[in-house]
Amino acid sequence: MIESQRHSYHLVDPSPWPISGSLGALATTVGGVMYMHSFQGGATLLSLGLIFILYTMFVWWRDVLRESTLEGHHTKAVQLGPRYGSILFIVSEVMFLFAFFWASSHSSLAPTVEIGGIWPPKGIGVLDPWEIPFLNTPILPSSGAAVTWAHHAILAGKEKRAVYALVATVSLALVSTGFQGMEYYQAPSTISDSIYGSTFFLATGFHGFHVIIGTLFLIICGIRQYLGHLTKEHHVGFEAAAWYWHFVDVVRLFPFVSIYWWGGI
Amino acid sequence: MASSIARSGFRLGAAACSRRGTTSGRRGFASSAHHDDAYEAAKWEKITYLGIVTCTVLSIYNLSKGHHHSPDPPPYPYLRIRTKEFPWGPDGLFEIKHHSEDHH
Repeated sequence: MIESQRHSYHLVDPSPWPISGSLGALATTVGGVMYMHSFQGGATLLSLGLIFILYTMFVWWRDVLRESTLEGHHTKAVQLGPRYGSILFIVSEVMFLFAFFWASSHSSLAPTVEIGGIWPPKGIGVLDPWEIPFLNTPILPSSGAAVTWAHHAILAGKEKRAVYALVATVSLALVSTGFQGMEYYQAPSTISDSIYGSTFFLATGFHGFHVIIGTLFLIICGIRQYLGHLTKEHHVGFEAAAWYWHFVDVVRLFPFVSIYWWGGI
Repeated sequence: MASSIARSGFRLGAAACSRRGTTSGRRGFASSAHHDDAYEAAKWEKITYLGIVTCTVLSIYNLSKGHHHSPDPPPYPYLRIRTKEFPWGPDGLFEIKHHSEDHH
Protein backbone atom coordinates (compact mmCIF):
# COMPACT_ATOMS: atom_id res chain seq x y z
CA MET A 1 0.00 0.00 0.00
CA ILE A 2 2.72 2.42 1.06
CA GLU A 3 4.60 1.78 -2.21
CA SER A 4 1.86 3.63 -4.09
CA GLN A 5 2.08 6.65 -1.78
CA ARG A 6 3.25 9.78 -3.61
CA HIS A 7 3.31 12.22 -0.68
CA SER A 8 5.10 12.42 2.66
CA TYR A 9 2.01 12.58 4.88
CA HIS A 10 0.66 9.85 7.13
CA LEU A 11 -2.99 9.01 6.51
CA VAL A 12 -3.93 7.25 9.75
CA ASP A 13 -6.08 4.14 9.91
CA PRO A 14 -9.42 4.25 11.76
CA SER A 15 -8.78 3.81 15.48
CA PRO A 16 -11.05 2.95 18.44
CA TRP A 17 -8.89 4.86 20.95
CA PRO A 18 -10.45 8.36 20.69
CA ILE A 19 -13.89 7.05 21.64
CA SER A 20 -12.52 4.70 24.33
CA GLY A 21 -10.54 7.60 25.82
CA SER A 22 -13.66 9.77 25.78
CA LEU A 23 -15.71 7.10 27.57
CA GLY A 24 -12.92 6.70 30.13
CA ALA A 25 -12.87 10.47 30.70
CA LEU A 26 -16.66 10.50 31.14
CA ALA A 27 -16.53 7.67 33.69
CA THR A 28 -13.67 9.42 35.49
CA THR A 29 -15.48 12.76 35.83
CA VAL A 30 -18.85 11.25 36.82
CA GLY A 31 -17.15 8.74 39.16
CA GLY A 32 -14.95 11.48 40.60
CA VAL A 33 -17.93 13.70 41.44
CA MET A 34 -19.81 10.71 42.89
CA TYR A 35 -16.77 9.75 45.00
CA MET A 36 -16.26 13.28 46.33
CA HIS A 37 -19.93 13.45 47.33
CA SER A 38 -19.75 9.98 48.96
CA PHE A 39 -22.22 8.34 46.54
CA GLN A 40 -22.33 4.55 46.53
CA GLY A 41 -20.23 3.13 43.68
CA GLY A 42 -18.36 6.40 43.15
CA ALA A 43 -14.96 4.92 43.97
CA THR A 44 -15.63 1.94 41.66
CA LEU A 45 -16.68 4.12 38.70
CA LEU A 46 -13.72 6.47 39.28
CA SER A 47 -11.28 3.54 39.36
CA LEU A 48 -12.82 1.97 36.24
CA GLY A 49 -12.61 5.31 34.41
CA LEU A 50 -8.97 5.81 35.35
CA ILE A 51 -8.08 2.24 34.33
CA PHE A 52 -9.87 2.83 31.01
CA ILE A 53 -7.93 6.05 30.39
CA LEU A 54 -4.60 4.43 31.32
CA TYR A 55 -5.36 1.47 29.02
CA THR A 56 -6.27 3.85 26.17
CA MET A 57 -3.05 5.82 26.68
CA PHE A 58 -1.02 2.62 26.58
CA VAL A 59 -2.55 1.14 23.42
CA TRP A 60 -2.79 4.50 21.58
CA TRP A 61 0.87 5.32 22.16
CA ARG A 62 1.76 1.71 21.35
CA ASP A 63 0.08 2.22 17.95
CA VAL A 64 1.93 5.52 17.40
CA LEU A 65 5.26 3.84 18.22
CA ARG A 66 4.47 1.02 15.77
CA GLU A 67 3.55 3.53 13.04
CA SER A 68 6.63 5.67 13.60
CA THR A 69 9.40 3.30 14.67
CA LEU A 70 8.46 0.07 12.91
CA GLU A 71 6.42 1.18 9.89
CA GLY A 72 8.30 4.39 9.10
CA HIS A 73 5.24 6.60 8.66
CA HIS A 74 6.76 9.55 10.54
CA THR A 75 8.53 11.40 7.74
CA LYS A 76 10.04 14.82 8.37
CA ALA A 77 6.72 16.37 7.31
CA VAL A 78 4.78 14.15 9.73
CA GLN A 79 7.21 14.89 12.59
CA LEU A 80 6.20 18.56 12.45
CA GLY A 81 2.74 17.64 13.79
CA PRO A 82 3.85 16.19 17.15
CA ARG A 83 6.48 18.95 17.44
CA TYR A 84 3.92 21.75 17.13
CA GLY A 85 1.53 19.76 19.29
CA SER A 86 4.11 19.37 22.07
CA ILE A 87 5.06 23.05 21.97
CA LEU A 88 1.41 24.19 22.11
CA PHE A 89 0.74 21.73 24.94
CA ILE A 90 3.67 23.13 26.95
CA VAL A 91 2.47 26.71 26.29
CA SER A 92 -0.96 25.73 27.66
CA GLU A 93 0.74 24.17 30.70
CA VAL A 94 2.64 27.40 31.34
CA MET A 95 -0.69 29.28 31.35
CA PHE A 96 -2.23 26.64 33.64
CA LEU A 97 0.51 27.06 36.26
CA PHE A 98 0.57 30.84 35.77
CA ALA A 99 -3.03 30.89 37.07
CA PHE A 100 -1.96 29.31 40.37
CA PHE A 101 0.92 31.74 40.84
CA TRP A 102 -1.54 34.54 40.08
CA ALA A 103 -3.88 33.20 42.78
CA SER A 104 -1.00 33.02 45.25
CA SER A 105 0.23 36.54 44.45
CA HIS A 106 -3.32 37.92 44.50
CA SER A 107 -3.85 36.52 48.00
CA SER A 108 -0.44 37.40 49.43
CA LEU A 109 0.23 40.89 48.03
CA ALA A 110 -2.80 42.39 49.81
CA PRO A 111 -3.76 39.96 52.62
CA THR A 112 -7.38 40.36 53.78
CA VAL A 113 -8.46 41.27 57.31
CA GLU A 114 -9.95 37.78 57.74
CA ILE A 115 -6.45 36.26 57.90
CA GLY A 116 -5.05 39.05 60.10
CA GLY A 117 -3.94 41.33 57.27
CA ILE A 118 -0.55 39.65 57.10
CA TRP A 119 1.15 37.01 54.94
CA PRO A 120 1.70 34.26 55.92
CA PRO A 121 -1.64 34.46 57.79
CA LYS A 122 -1.52 34.73 61.57
CA GLY A 123 -1.04 31.31 63.14
CA ILE A 124 0.19 29.61 59.97
CA GLY A 125 3.41 27.69 60.44
CA VAL A 126 5.54 27.88 57.29
CA LEU A 127 8.41 25.78 56.05
CA ASP A 128 11.91 27.22 56.28
CA PRO A 129 12.65 27.98 52.59
CA TRP A 130 16.36 27.25 53.14
CA GLU A 131 15.75 23.67 54.25
CA ILE A 132 14.10 21.11 51.92
CA PRO A 133 12.64 23.71 49.48
CA PHE A 134 16.12 25.12 48.78
CA LEU A 135 17.61 21.63 48.62
CA ASN A 136 14.97 20.54 46.11
CA THR A 137 15.52 23.53 43.80
CA PRO A 138 18.96 22.57 42.29
CA ILE A 139 17.96 18.90 41.89
CA LEU A 140 15.60 19.61 38.97
CA PRO A 141 18.04 21.83 36.99
CA SER A 142 20.70 19.12 37.52
CA SER A 143 18.25 16.65 36.07
CA GLY A 144 17.78 19.13 33.20
CA ALA A 145 21.55 19.10 32.62
CA ALA A 146 21.44 15.29 32.52
CA VAL A 147 18.69 15.31 29.87
CA THR A 148 20.80 17.73 27.78
CA TRP A 149 23.67 15.27 28.15
CA ALA A 150 21.33 12.52 26.92
CA HIS A 151 20.28 14.66 23.94
CA HIS A 152 23.85 15.31 22.79
CA ALA A 153 24.74 11.66 23.35
CA ILE A 154 21.85 10.65 21.06
CA LEU A 155 22.94 13.19 18.42
CA ALA A 156 26.53 11.94 18.65
CA GLY A 157 25.31 8.37 18.20
CA LYS A 158 26.53 7.28 21.64
CA GLU A 159 23.61 5.00 22.42
CA LYS A 160 24.85 3.52 25.70
CA ARG A 161 25.87 6.88 27.14
CA ALA A 162 22.41 8.21 26.31
CA VAL A 163 20.85 5.40 28.38
CA TYR A 164 23.15 6.24 31.32
CA ALA A 165 22.29 9.93 30.98
CA LEU A 166 18.57 9.13 31.04
CA VAL A 167 19.05 6.92 34.11
CA ALA A 168 20.74 9.90 35.81
CA THR A 169 17.90 12.21 34.70
CA VAL A 170 15.19 9.90 36.05
CA SER A 171 17.08 9.20 39.30
CA LEU A 172 17.39 12.92 40.06
CA ALA A 173 13.69 13.32 39.23
CA LEU A 174 12.74 10.55 41.67
CA VAL A 175 14.93 12.05 44.41
CA SER A 176 13.17 15.38 43.86
CA THR A 177 9.73 13.77 44.19
CA GLY A 178 10.91 11.95 47.32
CA PHE A 179 12.02 15.20 48.94
CA GLN A 180 8.75 16.86 47.92
CA GLY A 181 6.85 14.04 49.66
CA MET A 182 9.03 14.45 52.76
CA GLU A 183 8.41 18.20 52.72
CA TYR A 184 4.63 17.69 52.53
CA TYR A 185 4.75 15.18 55.36
CA GLN A 186 6.65 17.59 57.60
CA ALA A 187 4.69 20.68 56.53
CA PRO A 188 3.12 22.46 59.51
CA SER A 189 0.00 23.41 57.50
CA THR A 190 -2.42 21.58 55.21
CA ILE A 191 -4.48 22.53 52.16
CA SER A 192 -7.45 23.30 54.44
CA ASP A 193 -5.52 25.91 56.47
CA SER A 194 -6.68 29.26 55.08
CA ILE A 195 -5.95 30.76 51.67
CA TYR A 196 -2.24 30.18 52.42
CA GLY A 197 -2.68 26.39 52.50
CA SER A 198 -4.99 26.43 49.46
CA THR A 199 -2.65 28.43 47.22
CA PHE A 200 0.53 26.80 48.56
CA PHE A 201 -0.57 23.21 48.04
CA LEU A 202 -2.39 23.89 44.77
CA ALA A 203 0.68 25.51 43.16
CA THR A 204 3.39 23.25 44.60
CA GLY A 205 1.19 20.14 44.29
CA PHE A 206 0.45 20.72 40.61
CA HIS A 207 4.13 21.40 39.98
CA GLY A 208 4.98 18.13 41.75
CA PHE A 209 2.36 16.35 39.64
CA HIS A 210 4.04 17.70 36.50
CA VAL A 211 7.39 16.43 37.78
CA ILE A 212 5.84 12.96 38.07
CA ILE A 213 4.38 13.15 34.53
CA GLY A 214 7.75 14.30 33.15
CA THR A 215 9.49 11.47 35.01
CA LEU A 216 7.16 8.88 33.43
CA PHE A 217 7.77 10.49 30.01
CA LEU A 218 11.56 10.24 30.53
CA ILE A 219 11.33 6.63 31.78
CA ILE A 220 9.55 5.71 28.53
CA CYS A 221 12.29 7.53 26.56
CA GLY A 222 14.96 5.66 28.51
CA ILE A 223 13.33 2.31 27.73
CA ARG A 224 12.99 3.25 24.04
CA GLN A 225 16.62 4.40 23.92
CA TYR A 226 17.66 1.08 25.50
CA LEU A 227 15.63 -0.80 22.88
CA GLY A 228 17.28 1.20 20.10
CA HIS A 229 14.13 3.06 19.01
CA LEU A 230 15.78 6.48 19.04
CA THR A 231 18.24 7.39 16.30
CA LYS A 232 20.22 10.56 15.84
CA GLU A 233 17.99 11.55 12.92
CA HIS A 234 14.68 10.58 14.48
CA HIS A 235 13.85 11.06 18.16
CA VAL A 236 10.79 13.33 18.32
CA GLY A 237 9.45 11.59 21.44
CA PHE A 238 12.69 12.24 23.28
CA GLU A 239 12.75 15.88 22.18
CA ALA A 240 9.21 16.41 23.44
CA ALA A 241 10.17 14.82 26.79
CA ALA A 242 13.25 17.07 27.02
CA TRP A 243 11.23 20.22 26.26
CA TYR A 244 8.64 19.19 28.83
CA TRP A 245 11.37 18.49 31.38
CA HIS A 246 12.98 21.88 30.88
CA PHE A 247 9.57 23.49 31.34
CA VAL A 248 9.17 21.59 34.63
CA ASP A 249 12.64 22.42 35.95
CA VAL A 250 12.50 26.12 35.02
CA VAL A 251 9.00 26.51 36.48
CA ARG A 252 10.31 25.16 39.82
CA LEU A 253 12.24 28.43 40.31
CA PHE A 254 8.99 30.46 40.45
CA PRO A 255 7.38 28.69 43.44
CA PHE A 256 10.71 28.68 45.21
CA VAL A 257 11.22 32.43 44.89
CA SER A 258 7.61 33.64 45.18
CA ILE A 259 5.87 31.05 47.37
CA TYR A 260 8.50 29.43 49.60
CA TRP A 261 10.93 32.34 49.97
CA TRP A 262 9.10 35.66 49.54
CA GLY A 263 5.76 34.22 50.71
CA GLY A 264 7.18 32.29 53.66
CA ILE A 265 9.26 34.82 55.62
CA MET B 1 7.98 -7.43 5.95
CA ALA B 2 7.89 -4.70 8.55
CA SER B 3 11.48 -3.83 7.74
CA SER B 4 10.75 -3.53 4.03
CA ILE B 5 7.82 -1.23 4.82
CA ALA B 6 10.06 0.75 7.13
CA ARG B 7 12.77 0.99 4.46
CA SER B 8 10.38 2.21 1.82
CA GLY B 9 8.86 4.63 4.32
CA PHE B 10 12.23 6.09 5.17
CA ARG B 11 13.15 6.20 1.47
CA LEU B 12 9.97 8.11 0.68
CA GLY B 13 10.61 10.45 3.60
CA ALA B 14 14.16 11.04 2.49
CA ALA B 15 13.03 11.57 -1.09
CA ALA B 16 10.43 14.09 0.08
CA CYS B 17 13.06 15.96 2.03
CA SER B 18 15.54 16.08 -0.82
CA ARG B 19 12.81 17.24 -3.17
CA ARG B 20 11.88 20.10 -0.86
CA GLY B 21 15.32 21.27 0.10
CA THR B 22 17.56 21.81 -2.90
CA THR B 23 20.16 24.48 -2.30
CA SER B 24 18.50 27.06 -0.09
CA GLY B 25 16.34 26.41 2.95
CA ARG B 26 17.73 22.98 3.66
CA ARG B 27 17.62 22.36 7.34
CA GLY B 28 21.02 21.86 8.94
CA PHE B 29 20.44 19.07 11.41
CA ALA B 30 22.54 19.12 14.53
CA SER B 31 23.51 15.54 13.74
CA SER B 32 25.55 16.70 10.75
CA ALA B 33 28.39 17.75 13.05
CA HIS B 34 29.35 14.68 15.05
CA HIS B 35 32.37 16.07 16.85
CA ASP B 36 30.45 18.99 18.31
CA ASP B 37 27.84 16.67 19.78
CA ALA B 38 30.45 14.40 21.30
CA TYR B 39 32.08 17.48 22.85
CA GLU B 40 28.74 18.82 24.09
CA ALA B 41 27.76 15.40 25.50
CA ALA B 42 31.04 15.25 27.47
CA LYS B 43 30.53 18.84 28.71
CA TRP B 44 26.97 18.21 29.89
CA GLU B 45 28.04 14.93 31.49
CA LYS B 46 30.50 16.93 33.61
CA ILE B 47 27.84 19.53 34.45
CA THR B 48 25.51 16.69 35.52
CA TYR B 49 28.18 15.24 37.83
CA LEU B 50 28.78 18.70 39.28
CA GLY B 51 25.03 19.01 39.91
CA ILE B 52 24.86 15.58 41.55
CA VAL B 53 27.79 16.40 43.85
CA THR B 54 26.27 19.78 44.79
CA CYS B 55 22.87 18.21 45.50
CA THR B 56 24.44 15.39 47.55
CA VAL B 57 26.42 17.83 49.71
CA LEU B 58 23.31 19.98 50.20
CA SER B 59 21.23 16.90 51.08
CA ILE B 60 23.70 15.65 53.68
CA TYR B 61 23.97 19.13 55.22
CA ASN B 62 20.20 19.61 55.28
CA LEU B 63 19.22 16.19 56.56
CA SER B 64 21.86 16.17 59.31
CA LYS B 65 20.55 19.52 60.57
CA GLY B 66 17.09 18.14 61.41
CA HIS B 67 13.95 20.25 61.40
CA HIS B 68 12.02 22.05 64.08
CA HIS B 69 8.37 21.48 65.00
CA SER B 70 6.16 24.50 65.38
CA PRO B 71 3.61 24.67 68.20
CA ASP B 72 -0.09 24.29 67.40
CA PRO B 73 -1.65 27.69 66.58
CA PRO B 74 -4.79 28.94 68.34
CA PRO B 75 -7.95 27.70 66.56
CA TYR B 76 -8.43 30.70 64.28
CA PRO B 77 -11.60 30.34 62.16
CA TYR B 78 -9.62 30.26 58.92
CA LEU B 79 -7.55 27.23 59.98
CA ARG B 80 -8.63 23.60 59.51
CA ILE B 81 -11.65 24.50 57.37
CA ARG B 82 -13.97 21.48 57.34
CA THR B 83 -17.35 21.75 55.65
CA LYS B 84 -17.89 18.02 55.14
CA GLU B 85 -16.10 14.74 55.66
CA PHE B 86 -13.56 13.56 53.10
CA PRO B 87 -14.56 10.42 51.16
CA TRP B 88 -11.69 8.58 52.89
CA GLY B 89 -12.51 9.71 56.42
CA PRO B 90 -12.29 12.72 58.72
CA ASP B 91 -8.64 13.67 58.08
CA GLY B 92 -6.86 15.54 55.32
CA LEU B 93 -4.30 13.65 53.32
CA PHE B 94 -1.20 14.87 55.13
CA GLU B 95 -2.41 15.25 58.71
CA ILE B 96 -2.84 11.67 59.92
CA LYS B 97 0.50 12.16 61.68
CA HIS B 98 -1.12 14.46 64.23
CA HIS B 99 -2.80 11.52 65.95
CA SER B 100 0.35 9.51 66.59
CA GLU B 101 3.03 12.18 67.00
CA ASP B 102 3.35 14.39 70.03
CA HIS B 103 4.25 18.00 69.41
CA HIS B 104 7.42 19.65 70.53
